[in-house]
Amino acid sequence: MGWAPIVSTVLAIDTSTSQTSVAVVKDGEVLFTQSHNDPLAHGEYLPKLVAQALQGVPKIDLVAVGMGPGPFTGLRVGIVFAQSYALACGINWVGVCSLDAMANSISDSDFIVSTDARRKERYWARYKNGSRITEPAVNQVQELNKFDVPIYEEGQYFPDPVAIAKIALSNESVLQPIYLRKPDAYPLPEGIKFRAMTSLDLVPASVIEKEVYQKAAWSIAQFKEEFAKAPKNAQYLVAEHEGELVAYAGIFFVADVADIHTITVSEKYRRKGIGRELLKRLIDWARVKQAMAIMLEMRLGNDQARPLYESFGFSEVSKRENYYGPGLTAVVMRKELK
Amino acid sequence: MALVLGIETSCDETAVGIVDDRKLLANVISSSVAEHARFGGVVPEVASRAHLESMQQVIKQALADAKVGLNDIDAIAVTAGPGLIGALLVGVSSASALSLALDKPLYGVNHLSSHIAVDSLDNEKKLTPTIALLVSGGHTSLLKVNNLVSDIEVLGATIDDAAGEAFDKVARIMGLGFPGGPIIDRTANDGDFAKIQFPRGLSSSSDLINHRFDFSFSGLKTAVSRYLEKSADYKKADVAASFQEAVVDVLITKSISACKESGIDSLVIAGGVAANSRLRQLAADRCNAAGIKLSIPPIQLCTDNGAMVAALGSLAINHGAKPSQIGIEADSAAAIAQIIW
Repeated sequence: MGWAPIVSTVLAIDTSTSQTSVAVVKDGEVLFTQSHNDPLAHGEYLPKLVAQALQGVPKIDLVAVGMGPGPFTGLRVGIVFAQSYALACGINWVGVCSLDAMANSISDSDFIVSTDARRKERYWARYKNGSRITEPAVNQVQELNKFDVPIYEEGQYFPDPVAIAKIALSNESVLQPIYLRKPDAYPLPEGIKFRAMTSLDLVPASVIEKEVYQKAAWSIAQFKEEFAKAPKNAQYLVAEHEGELVAYAGIFFVADVADIHTITVSEKYRRKGIGRELLKRLIDWARVKQAMAIMLEMRLGNDQARPLYESFGFSEVSKRENYYGPGLTAVVMRKELK
Repeated sequence: MALVLGIETSCDETAVGIVDDRKLLANVISSSVAEHARFGGVVPEVASRAHLESMQQVIKQALADAKVGLNDIDAIAVTAGPGLIGALLVGVSSASALSLALDKPLYGVNHLSSHIAVDSLDNEKKLTPTIALLVSGGHTSLLKVNNLVSDIEVLGATIDDAAGEAFDKVARIMGLGFPGGPIIDRTANDGDFAKIQFPRGLSSSSDLINHRFDFSFSGLKTAVSRYLEKSADYKKADVAASFQEAVVDVLITKSISACKESGIDSLVIAGGVAANSRLRQLAADRCNAAGIKLSIPPIQLCTDNGAMVAALGSLAINHGAKPSQIGIEADSAAAIAQIIW
């Protein structure tokens, strides 16, 4: 026969939003609940709040913690604290989906709760008649609006640590942090090889070039001309998968500023980190050449790659009208190296 | 006598060490280096996730190795900086939780100072004053250590790349892999270190006026890159050995001048690059000739580890340093002057 653990006092923690929140709940009675709002200070405030919360509390029996989703650095502060506290006391810890603890106080029948995922995206989940009906997800705001149900946002609402304690006693523990996003430089698909481009790659590269840029694609002759500057004043790289060319990239450098000519990934190999790896290698090359800065142009409206460039420290410096043809504007981005 | 548990998560090693005063009891390291190899460098988010995954297990393993329980621990020490902020926060938060749960003092300590403090373990020698050369993937500094807990002077540092970084970058240029230190060390084994005369950074008489004890490895890296581009026919082993010699020669030459000028006849070499076999050999030869007592910690204590953090915590207690306040702030760019938080 099973037995229910006899839990009396729960220490509850959540660091999945800009708030650091702590509560102590004993047999349903709230002994302490407090939050501090500062998105960059979870590490500093969590121990302070817990020290306050523990005053006059003889013994903690269970640690409950919000497992996200939430910005990674702050989220980990709460989780590792909860785990270590439980380890030191020889007690258990239980993980709770933080969005559930935010939805707990909302009495609507059909709604979405959403928190700030940065990069103009939101972490969210949908609730109906008191239960969560979707897995936590991360999307752009517009995607959430499509559901046409009320959205309860971080700022007005936060994951309630008292609810974390309550849910921990009734639900199954969430054991892993709910990251939802991979690290920016997540592992490349197995079997992708990076190497310098050779003249033998020009034909397969121009096939991808046509597929991706259509009318604006470079001809083989243009390719050859640029490629001829390598290795002294230019660097061209390719990525291959099982012998097939799937991406290529090139950078050019004279005087003081290096210019990225292209980073092109074949359609079905996108979002695997290949472009990121190519960009990283181009930047490394520019550094070795002692370039002062790197510039690149990107078509306005075609900016899926923009967050990638921004994550490497590129920022917009100007726009060039009609750069890619009539009505097609280029956004010029620059990264300083020194 | 104090039993101190030290936690280190400033880069890609999740490490916990336990010391009893100056005696090493446990040193457990879980590394995410393999996950970074494919990127040719440490990816902060990958490292931070790995810290969270390993932390509890590494603590348990260290306690088991030391044959003690958490309740026996007298104090917790933790690296509070410098390092990757997201990575540091995992260790600092874990340490804060242990300190609060066990009601034991917490010492936030400097990563760089602890690399030197590890030399205090398992011996009874007088530790200071000494000159210390700290060489790792992130740092290259020449220090005058008057007291390990309270008084460290910076004599010089790298003005561009750290020595370990130069190893990583040159290994990448040569297509040898990551991390560069051990790979170049191994490759250089079969090479002739006098084959190619690579530049010794900041060693000309004019450079020595303003950069007496500073280092520069950026030009050396470029020189290797140019050499590889220009030379059709070369042995990788010779390039590796000659590059390694250029780095090691400057490091040792400047360390010995620092000893002579300050009248201190003791040199400690610490940090990950102190694991380099050529550095160890050349340092031993030249210190011997100059009458300087050389101390290099065992290799497993040169790279990032928790024992060094516990060692500095233990020295702090013996020195009567005040414990850190609750809610210490990890500082990714902490200066070496901030030894205890």
